[in-house]
Amino acid sequence: MLAALRPDSFDLPLFLHVFGATVLFGATGTIAIAGYASRRSPDNSALLARVVAGTWLVGILPSFILMWAAAEWILDKEFPDNADTPGWVSVGFIVSEPGALLLIALGILAWFSVRKGRVLLAVPILASIYLLALAVAWFAMSGTP
Amino acid sequence: MDLYEWLLVFHVTGAFLMLGGGTVAATLNLAAARRDRKPSEVVLLFGLIRIAVVALTIGAILAFVFGLWLVHQAPFNYSYTEGWVIAAIILLIVSSVMGAVGGRRDERTARFAQELAATNDEPSAELLGRVRDPAALVLSYGSGVLLIAVLALMIWKPGA
Repeated sequence: MLAALRPDSFDLPLFLHVFGATVLFGATGTIAIAGYASRRSPDNSALLARVVAGTWLVGILPSFILMWAAAEWILDKEFPDNADTPGWVSVGFIVSEPGALLLIALGILAWFSVRKGRVLLAVPILASIYLLALAVAWFAMSGTP
Repeated sequence: MDLYEWLLVFHVTGAFLMLGGGTVAATLNLAAARRDRKPSEVVLLFGLIRIAVVALTIGAILAFVFGLWLVHQAPFNYSYTEGWVIAAIILLIVSSVMGAVGGRRDERTARFAQELAATNDEPSAELLGRVRDPAALVLSYGSGVLLIAVLALMIWKPGA
């Protein structure tokens, strides 16, 4: 509903927010896929560990920053001066703030994975949890229940 | 939640699967395009891209079907003859065709890599040339750029 009724000045931050979120979803999916694949393909574990770490650095990090900064930009416009925010905005905060800690943990584990030459099992598990959290966020934001 | 909001949820889910799947495919494709890749590694990475293709295909169907339904259901008098709706449909179709054609070229590259891996699993200039084939890259990455353009149309809705 918001997408149709919002002022034009919301369009750019909303585009950047959704674009960042979709790339973040894809980058997290890449880490999950590579992590689970490394369990089935131990010969290529070192390669997949490097793919995981590289994806975290050039995919997760910039897309999370883009998604988060654009969300703050929209919030400043829509709910200025700390106005009361609806429940679906709170869902976004729950995913982005504790989610950031989870992504930092994912990055540290990805770095350890490269050093060990194999993807640690926690990496695809954490990535899967974050994928689910992102799905909850886009459900809350598009359905605005 | 009413019907309109449920349709929006499925439409947005389709968009996430499409753009997310495109991100997975692009990342794994870039990983495969390194000079020192052995054929068996290219086989593995191109094999993983198939998972992204499933997400892309399901996403395209969801976004298209629920998007058309949304035009009818949205309480804002949208019409199927509006420019942004027509442009989005055309771009989505062109993007899907480009992605499918590029994907077929990548399938042939994956088969070639499989043959090489079975005989001599060492980095090959010919395989690298095929992985970095400009036509395949333009088709695949061009398909992704068109999806980003569709996302922009959905946000700005020019003329609506």
